[in-house]
Amino acid sequence: MTKELKFESPTFKQRIKGMLGVDFYRLFHTPLFCIFLAIAAIIPAMVSGFTMMPDQNGNKIEPLYSNVWQIIAATEPLYVIREIADYANMNMVFIFGGIMVSIFIGHDYKSGYVKQLFTTHAKKEDYMISKTLVCAFAMVCMCLTYFIGGTIGGLIAGYETSVNVGSLVCAVLGKMIMSLGWAALYTFLNVIFRKYFGISIASSFFFGTGILIIGAAAILGNSPILNIFLYGSSVFACLSSNLWTIINCLVVSIAWTAIYIIVGSHILNKCDVY
Amino acid sequence: MNAIEIKGLSKSFRGLFAVNNLNMTVPVGSIYGFIGENGSGKSTTEKLICGHLVPNSGEIKLFGKDYTDAGVRVRVGALIENAGCFPSSSVYQNLMMQAINLELENREEEIDRVLKIVRMEDSKFIKFKSCSLGMKQRIGIAMALLGDPALLILDEPINGLDTDGMRIMREILVDITKTYGCTVLISSHILGELEKIATHYGIIRQGKMIMELSAKEMENRARVFTSLKTANMQGALKALKEKYANARQEEEYIRVYDVDNTEEIVEYLIKKGFIVSEIKKNKIGLEEYYIEIMSQKEKK
Repeated sequence: MTKELKFESPTFKQRIKGMLGVDFYRLFHTPLFCIFLAIAAIIPAMVSGFTMMPDQNGNKIEPLYSNVWQIIAATEPLYVIREIADYANMNMVFIFGGIMVSIFIGHDYKSGYVKQLFTTHAKKEDYMISKTLVCAFAMVCMCLTYFIGGTIGGLIAGYETSVNVGSLVCAVLGKMIMSLGWAALYTFLNVIFRKYFGISIASSFFFGTGILIIGAAAILGNSPILNIFLYGSSVFACLSSNLWTIINCLVVSIAWTAIYIIVGSHILNKCDVY
Repeated sequence: MNAIEIKGLSKSFRGLFAVNNLNMTVPVGSIYGFIGENGSGKSTTEKLICGHLVPNSGEIKLFGKDYTDAGVRVRVGALIENAGCFPSSSVYQNLMMQAINLELENREEEIDRVLKIVRMEDSKFIKFKSCSLGMKQRIGIAMALLGDPALLILDEPINGLDTDGMRIMREILVDITKTYGCTVLISSHILGELEKIATHYGIIRQGKMIMELSAKEMENRARVFTSLKTANMQGALKALKEKYANARQEEEYIRVYDVDNTEEIVEYLIKKGFIVSEIKKNKIGLEEYYIEIMSQKEKK
């Protein structure tokens, strides 16, 4: 008996559906996602809690934030860090997210499962697109748990709650939109360093901290030109955000996502994948 | 049409050619035994076919289409080096992921079907890391079998298995090809096992295909020989050499090659005063044939 030899090329939609299905199945059936959701919720709550603790002499320390929502986003788009409160906000999700993406993609290679994916998926862009979308989804969820954890922690710490709701929504949405670009960057880094798990994590952490943009800001000053970068736009989504912020985040996030997917797919097509 | 057709395929790693101008033809419906020493380029060739490696040059066609064609590749199942499963996930979860990846409709039934083929119906919910080597290899085959593959590429699926594991694996492979009719490319060191199932052979050495032949051709080329024992081995060998050009001693037997008639040999030896204590008619197996070819190439 010989097999019926019909070879129908799956459409782009069918291919992506299959790959996305696997990645979402993995995301929801392994503890990794839950652990990182919990981390994203606990960290802001802990940061707010620390500010309530007295110092060594029993004196009350200067609070890190003056307002609950500063745990979520900075008051103004400051690329140059004046104090830790300007930095310690929802942007930290992009650091944890980078580590999560590295572990998620790294396990593809470590287990050898990536061989199954590349055997049945001849088009390498399927891999880049699927990983980017699933990891972006995971980071959006982390943004949500960060928001919940930060809000509860801030309220318990007794911070002031006054806010321009529209700006807060724009800031949170802006950061969620930026998750896509960050996920694409981390997927790209993990494709480049696919054979070196440790370097993948280290590089994701390095870029996630935004140290390059912070360094550039130290030279260029607080220039809006830095918004063309992922970290710049992530900072731009702050408590003085408006609709323009969302448009800016959308354009920057999508543009970088497209760049990383195209270049990443090209690398996968030209280099040995396993 | 051929299931696999490779022309002038080369792949180097840091200047060293693992596959060097390789040509290969695997007919549709065949079980192609891919034979070669360690480092001869078998796994590299298989990885190239599966698109895991990028060739330096050459052409790979699967069922007449370029190997990068998405329609063909979706019908390739592979077990290369290891099963490629997540160790902390169960057998079922790993298979489910592959079923989703392939967009199969009746996933549960498909998983049950392939688990039945590899005789692991009862191990569905065991974590992959808890499985034995033999079980892991079988799960790898189950993964490759999902989604009605037209071509199966199996890299050393019987390596490291015990005798019973090898028997089970052989039965599974025969079952797959007979019942499901897919083309199978299988590489193995265990030539005795391969001989029992392969319909075609390809012998690779230093990245080059040195010979391709069907099992029938192999059968025709295989030399017959009679092996015998006498009390006076040296004397008998000397006498036999006077009549038969291809008589020689190998280990504790005298082998007379290319002579099919054992009665004639016995009669001759009796006439010469030798008593034959043991005699049997043989045919060179794949393993011996392979060693012979390799030693010929070595001499060249």
